[in-house]
Amino acid sequence: MQLPPFAYHRPASLDEALARLSTAGDSVAALGGGTDLLINLKLRLERPRALVSVRDLPELAGVSLDASGTLRIGAGERLTDLAAHPLIVVPYPGLAQAIRAVGSQHVRNMATLGGNLCLPTRCWYTNQSENWRGSQLPCWKTDGQVCHVIKTAPNCRAIHSADSVPALISLGARVLLRSSQGERELLLADFYRDDGIENNVLAPGELITAVLVPPARVRSTFVKAAARTGLDYGYATLAGALTGSNRVPKSLLLVAGSVGTMPLVLQKPAQIILAEGLNEAGIEAAADAVRDDLGEVTNLFTPPGYKKRLMRGLVRRVLHELRRQKLPAAD
Amino acid sequence: MTRQLITLIVNGDRYQVPVAPCETLLDVIRDRVALTGTKRGCTSGACGVCTVQGDDGRAVLSCLALAIEWDNRPVTTIEGVAGGDELHPVQKAFLEYGAVQCGACTPGLIMTAKALLDENPDPDEEAINEALAGALCRCTGHIKVKIAVREAIKAMAADAAPEDGHGIQEG
Repeated sequence: MQLPPFAYHRPASLDEALARLSTAGDSVAALGGGTDLLINLKLRLERPRALVSVRDLPELAGVSLDASGTLRIGAGERLTDLAAHPLIVVPYPGLAQAIRAVGSQHVRNMATLGGNLCLPTRCWYTNQSENWRGSQLPCWKTDGQVCHVIKTAPNCRAIHSADSVPALISLGARVLLRSSQGERELLLADFYRDDGIENNVLAPGELITAVLVPPARVRSTFVKAAARTGLDYGYATLAGALTGSNRVPKSLLLVAGSVGTMPLVLQKPAQIILAEGLNEAGIEAAADAVRDDLGEVTNLFTPPGYKKRLMRGLVRRVLHELRRQKLPAAD
Repeated sequence: MTRQLITLIVNGDRYQVPVAPCETLLDVIRDRVALTGTKRGCTSGACGVCTVQGDDGRAVLSCLALAIEWDNRPVTTIEGVAGGDELHPVQKAFLEYGAVQCGACTPGLIMTAKALLDENPDPDEEAINEALAGALCRCTGHIKVKIAVREAIKAMAADAAPEDGHGIQEG
């Protein structure tokens, strides 16, 4: 597959990049590692007039701790570097596992964290070549009036499957967004929208510059169920982060990925553990309760209902892992 | 379409090539520089046959890299792996242990293995699997490839070991 023509800019500073991104609105796209964007261009799913390369901007680089202990990860950092970074691996093993679950090592050598956070939703019908798509009616995402996956769906239900995201949300991460108009900061959990097409709140001309992980001594883990260990998108993923003890847990965030148009914070299983404690009975009850949190989930490779059963197993695995994990050592 | 003159440095050789922004590193290496050892497979980052080594030594999917972004950044392709007539230990091991069937994936697998061993000369099973998962052989699978990679690790470790004082080094 060949790329369509586009103009290319490699600005030297963030301000210059933001000016480029704001001039022509939607027809300009920010280029990070390119491992997803360039595929979408080849598939003619996106048609930007120009690409603005932001990967090597100095303002988007670096992993550091500020005075309060908040971890700042530059959005242009490569996933391979982050998956092995001591400021991530030691305090946040769940995040390191999640980053390592993205794509293949080849992909992670090129891909950026900011790019993974902005990964468009995917679906078996739409993420195909233009010819392939042309053999059937257009769907919501391709300007049609139907969803081929869930026939009754009133909008696009394509799946959000950026593996780093559930882990970051489970840690209470925030994102810094910059545009030529200014800067704003929001919870990563509030960055996503329940829509397969407009799946985040990024405004035209806006760019993620950094991810902030608040200081906390947490136990954390991440599991991914996919057809193959390498390269495949998940059937379902689950991240968990816990503070407090097994007997008296203080907080627990369980965040599922690849089950809908946005990451899903599981409410009931977490409430059960916080009430019952992280013990055998609590884990079984939490696993039983996960069904109620999941809406309409489908996956063309598996029978309907598979993801709900799968998620039950993932809840068990994550909770058992959190239960036996030791808190990372304090500095 | 506007083309921009870039200097591509492939295996130490410099090429002045006018490229359009939409040309991938793979397109330019194969079709303009005429080094066809790097293969064109899925062109969407899933098969790894287009793997080259970037300026940081890591495996790069040349089908998902824009040539324009590789101006003056050295790239190593399969043609640059052997030292003259002397094959690289990974190449020798692939030959010796028959880690090849049709051969289409071989350049990508060798570049993947070389990038792994350049960064980590003693990878464990998990690290080998993790690296090879991004480069596919669809003839015969990864068992012989993994045997070859493990043998290459041994051969490279033996080469790197200090001289024991016996015999005279060849060459």
